[in-house]
Amino acid sequence: MSAATFPLDSSVTAPNGKAVVSVDHISKTYPVPFLRLKKAFKRKFKPPVEAVRDVSFEVREGEIFGLIGPNGAGKTTLTKIIATLIQPTAGQVTVKGFDSVQDDLDVRRHVGLAGAEERSFYWRLTAEQNLQFFARLHGLSGDEATTRISHLLRALQLEDSARKRFAELSTGNKQGLAIARALLANPPVLLLDEPTRSLDPLAATRMRATIKSLTQDAARRVTVFLTSHNLAEVEELCNRVAIISQGEIRALDAPRNLRATHSDNEKVSITFTVEDAMKVEAALRDAFSSHPFTLGRGEVSNTWTLAFSRKANDQTLDTVLRVLHNATSIVKSIESERATLLEVLEHYEQPDSQQKEKGE
Amino acid sequence: MNPLLFLRRIWAFVVRDWRLELSYRMQFFLRVLSILILVTTFFFVSRIFVGFADPRFTQWHDPLAAWLTGMAMLNYFMTGFSSLANAIRQEQVQGTLESVLMTPISVPTVIVASSAWDFVQATLFSSLYLVFGWLFFNVHYMGNFLLALAFLLLTTVVLSCLGILSASFAMVFKRGDPFGVFLGAGSALFSGVFFPTQLIRDYAGGAVASVSRVLPATYGLDGLRRVLIEGQGFAQVRQPLISLLIFLAVLLPLSLWVFSRAVRRAKREGSLIQY
Repeated sequence: MSAATFPLDSSVTAPNGKAVVSVDHISKTYPVPFLRLKKAFKRKFKPPVEAVRDVSFEVREGEIFGLIGPNGAGKTTLTKIIATLIQPTAGQVTVKGFDSVQDDLDVRRHVGLAGAEERSFYWRLTAEQNLQFFARLHGLSGDEATTRISHLLRALQLEDSARKRFAELSTGNKQGLAIARALLANPPVLLLDEPTRSLDPLAATRMRATIKSLTQDAARRVTVFLTSHNLAEVEELCNRVAIISQGEIRALDAPRNLRATHSDNEKVSITFTVEDAMKVEAALRDAFSSHPFTLGRGEVSNTWTLAFSRKANDQTLDTVLRVLHNATSIVKSIESERATLLEVLEHYEQPDSQQKEKGE
Repeated sequence: MNPLLFLRRIWAFVVRDWRLELSYRMQFFLRVLSILILVTTFFFVSRIFVGFADPRFTQWHDPLAAWLTGMAMLNYFMTGFSSLANAIRQEQVQGTLESVLMTPISVPTVIVASSAWDFVQATLFSSLYLVFGWLFFNVHYMGNFLLALAFLLLTTVVLSCLGILSASFAMVFKRGDPFGVFLGAGSALFSGVFFPTQLIRDYAGGAVASVSRVLPATYGLDGLRRVLIEGQGFAQVRQPLISLLIFLAVLLPLSLWVFSRAVRRAKREGSLIQY
């Protein structure tokens, strides 16, 4: 089965610089319910929870914007604030210029939310009946709803599941139906909360292809705001990623830049064959008096593996290749490995003092 | 708000609930059967009182007619003040409230529309009390049916205001519904569903009897019986009608204000979808 694509035939477009979602100094502190009463009766109470603290960023039209962070970092709170389900304590969120508190109905006309929560559907209704209900709430007439639903079911390859009860659908189809529901009113902004959670690898791949294709419709550019714990997925899909930790945005950039900013070192591993390995080692020691490297036998017979680290874009790799060339060795492969998003995430999860030490 | 769009959304909820109801067909037939059994039971109980009618209680000359109108009204009343809170609680428990609230629909519309099917059902089941009485037990109703309907609707709107207060409570406190408890039990006891309210004065004194005066259901039921059982016209039922209008004038703005505060609080606390 191939992945679903939106549009069915379209030219690929890149995000532009126009902000569609603007998050401006948003803070959210969950108040203690009935605080005055609890104080009056001298009852114990937990301190207020500061879920999001002075967060600002913009999501540009047509981009896939990722938000990553550990559990409890504030991802869901932020998504729900954008979706108007929670009011911020301070700051402002606008979607297409509409304020999430003052113009909440307008914001909801421009936003579709798809989460991994299976309970958000009516289990005893069919997939089609569920979509019909939500289409009518979006104000679609009967004919409009029918046309739109059949288009979405076709595009998401859910036609065979249309008349099945929601309870009978596979997890992948349930997730697909959540995306279909979020797209019912053709919203320009799509909020996806862990869209591939509990999907098998094949279904997850199809889902990622679907998400990617959503932003590539030249006629109707969908902007995607995505939260996920799957860092490989975020790296594959997102134009930009924000890292949130303890309610604060710690970093925001393209995944490649985030990795580079975190550490500009990369580990290089070169596999080669040569007549006289001792000669190569001696030449390398001459070339790098202080630069550590390891030279060992490769997994395949007659091959050698040279491993060293270098700063991105420095001259080390060029020098090494010259040495190998002069020693009449044949380079079989070169592999380089830079910091992963996981390492970046782990870095921002460390206490501030440790981060500073590492930075220094 | 566009009234057509509003009605379209209410219709969407009614269709949804009808489809859900269809998936539990047995429950519907059992409910119809239980009403028939109850009406039959009341018929036999009413036979005990043949020839013992107290001339003071003009609405109770045929106790079966009085009980059936009382039961039909009580069913409607209970729906009025419990279905709004139940609707929001059910969506919370099912986990569907968040997805409903992600559509461009206001919270008050969600609550009104979610309870629409309950009123459709209540109309059907309340009618069954009267129809079974007429069909199987020779109970006859007279008077202006439109006027009776006006009483029914007005009382339901007044009780729905209490239902909105109850829904506000459900939104903030999640569980426990003082309005449902006091008004549900209170209406059955004090508003004359099963016996004339004058008996409370005779046996418990004026202070206790005055409770029935502050219950809107008392006036609704009195008005309905005056029309359907005594055959009274508009001029004769002005007093209960005016009482209901006064309740409406006080309760409607109060309940809407309390409700808007509850929604704001729930959104601020982030507890709108919690239960």
